[in-house]
Amino acid sequence: MQIDTNPASMLWLLPLVASIAIVYKATKVRTIRPRSFIRECAILFGSIMVFIIVAALILYAVAWLVTQQLPNILG
Amino acid sequence: MPPSWKDNHALFLIVVGLFAWLVPGAGHFALDERRRAGVIFVAIVLTFLIGLYVGSIGVIDPVGAKSWYAAQIMNSPVVFLLGRVSTGGDYPVYGRPNEIGQIYTSIAGLLNLLCIVNAIYMAHLQAVEGTGD
Repeated sequence: MQIDTNPASMLWLLPLVASIAIVYKATKVRTIRPRSFIRECAILFGSIMVFIIVAALILYAVAWLVTQQLPNILG
Repeated sequence: MPPSWKDNHALFLIVVGLFAWLVPGAGHFALDERRRAGVIFVAIVLTFLIGLYVGSIGVIDPVGAKSWYAAQIMNSPVVFLLGRVSTGGDYPVYGRPNEIGQIYTSIAGLLNLLCIVNAIYMAHLQAVEGTGD
């Protein structure tokens, strides 16, 4: 399978996060009722994605500082 | 009436754990948690199969990627057989497909490890509640 090293390849993490959310919730909920289970999995999926995006933005800012700003500061 | 394997607490826990390792979700199935077992089975097996689809069975590398293999083997003993087949070098895979395939199959294995521990814990709770301790 051909997978390029471009930003679109990051989309491969979405099914993985969904799987993690589903399995984790399956071990945690007392009973599995379709509607509430899907809602809880969706909430956990969204939470994980928010944290990943925040971490990515922070890392991007750090990389920008180190590669763009630090050479200017050090002259 | 002769004692069944469910009456021996330690044996019961070991058997549930073994079932959960043999087939993802089978431990919970043995505890009459059918719906939970079905969800776990579908999620873990799909994740593992996606990893194999992306990278081929070459992502299961017991020689060159031991730490990934340690996580992948948690899926099922079937991974041991797949590793034997891929060791021959007939399924080379490199770059992103290799990375993504390894990550998917290893995460599936670690999720199954979580489910094995959860099944053993639920078996312990069932046995304890049954004896009234």
